[in-house]
Amino acid sequence: MNDEKEEKLLSLLAARRGETFWRRQKAGILRAAVEERGPRRTWLLAPAAALAALLVLVLARGPRQPLPDEPQGVSAAFIEHLDLLADMDVLEAVSEEEL
Amino acid sequence: MENVKKTGPEGLAGTDPESAFALLIEEQQRLVYAVALRLTGNTAAAEDITQETFIAAWRHIKDFRGESSLKTWLMRIAANKTRSYWRWKRLRSWVGLSDKGEDGEGTALEDLLPDDPAGRPEQAALAAELERRVQAAINALPPRQREVAVLRAQGLGMAEIGSALGMAEGTVKAHWFEARKKLGSSLGEYL
Repeated sequence: MNDEKEEKLLSLLAARRGETFWRRQKAGILRAAVEERGPRRTWLLAPAAALAALLVLVLARGPRQPLPDEPQGVSAAFIEHLDLLADMDVLEAVSEEEL
Repeated sequence: MENVKKTGPEGLAGTDPESAFALLIEEQQRLVYAVALRLTGNTAAAEDITQETFIAAWRHIKDFRGESSLKTWLMRIAANKTRSYWRWKRLRSWVGLSDKGEDGEGTALEDLLPDDPAGRPEQAALAAELERRVQAAINALPPRQREVAVLRAQGLGMAEIGSALGMAEGTVKAHWFEARKKLGSSLGEYL
């Protein structure tokens, strides 16, 4: 790229605004300087916010809740179902002649 | 950028603080805003960064040691504030708080243009299209190349850019070489 093209490229990157914009911006900065003690833009607190987010994540993980115990009571129907399955195993293991 | 020398701390001596601050803004706001706008691609964020840059500069003007020019110092503050902005954006995105459109992400046509772009709608549309293409080309650059290109566009020399961004001059040159090549390729039709 030659110098002329480079100059053109650099001029393209400029921010073009009218005088009204610059006057408004200047007034805004001067006003903000006066009200400096007011609330700041939140994104300027990014490092503190990052730390807070990490803390929340760590706390959220916290001590894990113990898993609920297995149900202690087993219904009669369930035991009968198991008996039936055991019988099936035996039946399958015995040849037809023996039966 | 000869006027930069006018508002060094020594140049402000004897002026009342408010007038000196107003003069500093008058002379440097275009540069600071352009850097913030091109590095964020967001008009609202650029205005905030410009404002915060000047307030921070004024608050810490007594700490300015004059090792670099006042312009370079302001650029460094603006670049740091822009990095904070991106960290904040990433953080919000990471925790699932996408703020698309919240702070001016969707830039309006009139925000991209001078107050009166020759007063004709077709001129305005062309200027807006150019603006979008330029910003898209900048956004496509890796962060360091983007910073170097944007500061270069504000008339800073390689050493000044290095000082503002905390880079060796050789690194700045390498980034500018790459950035220029890519921008030239993206915006070739306008060159």
